[in-house]
Amino acid sequence: MRFKVYRFDPESGAKPAFQDYDVRLAPGEHKVLDALVRIKEQDDSLSFRRSCREGVCGSDAMNINGRNRLACITDVTEVPEPVVLAPLPGFPVIRDLVVDMTMFFKHYHEIRPYLVNDEPPPERERLQSPAERERLNGLYECILCACCTGFCPSYWWNPDKFVGPAGLLQAERFITDSRDRDTAGRLAFLDDVYKLYRCRTIMNCTEVCPKGLSPARAIEHIKVQLLKRST
Amino acid sequence: MRLFSGQRAFVLQRLTALVLLAYVAGALLRLALGAPPELAAWRAWAARPAGAALIALLAAALLLHAWVGLRDVVLDYVHPLALRLAVLGAAAAALAFLGLWTALILVSHAL
Repeated sequence: MRFKVYRFDPESGAKPAFQDYDVRLAPGEHKVLDALVRIKEQDDSLSFRRSCREGVCGSDAMNINGRNRLACITDVTEVPEPVVLAPLPGFPVIRDLVVDMTMFFKHYHEIRPYLVNDEPPPERERLQSPAERERLNGLYECILCACCTGFCPSYWWNPDKFVGPAGLLQAERFITDSRDRDTAGRLAFLDDVYKLYRCRTIMNCTEVCPKGLSPARAIEHIKVQLLKRST
Repeated sequence: MRLFSGQRAFVLQRLTALVLLAYVAGALLRLALGAPPELAAWRAWAARPAGAALIALLAAALLLHAWVGLRDVVLDYVHPLALRLAVLGAAAAALAFLGLWTALILVSHAL
């Protein structure tokens, strides 16, 4: 298989460029990540992140033939040759396919990704009804791979201010949680021209989420909640 | 009051879009029902208080909608503060001028 891989070494001073590789996959190797591991055997200067190799950790999110995907769950038969591998768009590149996710996680921490509840804890866990638990489906499954945020033009334009689809999906996960007691504070934090309202419902986020989630729907739900609160 | 609000602009953009949609639908319906009015008939309609009010509402909705849209484009693409303020100022001045011009035309016809 033929691959074109984005290469950038900040220490060399050279401009980023694509490098061609020919890879022969062994029987049983089907994924783009398998090919990357083979490329790494040919050229150990190539850098990329990976960990679980089964679509759970989100480490190997990258742009594959123009679309953000997880290399470990992308079958090589899905992507026509030459397979072009590039780092996530909109993120500063540290080296080759490794991007700097500092801003991404800064936004994630800003939305307070934990339950806020000052009420005395019950003897056992804080209970939810099945219906309340059901509302978290489609929100809690996010693995923070940043495929969505890296494919969002609004994030490319204002990465330092717009929370981005992944962060907003997580915000909605805690706004919706019946055990959380600071919905008003969470919504007030997001009622900002940059943090939330840079979203233009382009819906690239929903299009590329490897877990099949819909950050666009979560963002719309936050906007509706804000509207209900103000009326 | 914040200079760049979030929800207020979002709601304003959608409300003005609904007004504009209603006008487009009304205009299409009017054209479907018969030939467009002659200039004299149109001027007479615009000179009446109800006609002038409808045109003023259309102009206000259009200008407010345009302001939110322009502001969003500037917030996305124009990052240097001085340039951003200059572009926003120019856009606001141009829209205010168009609004004032529309008002002057309506008043001059009504008199």
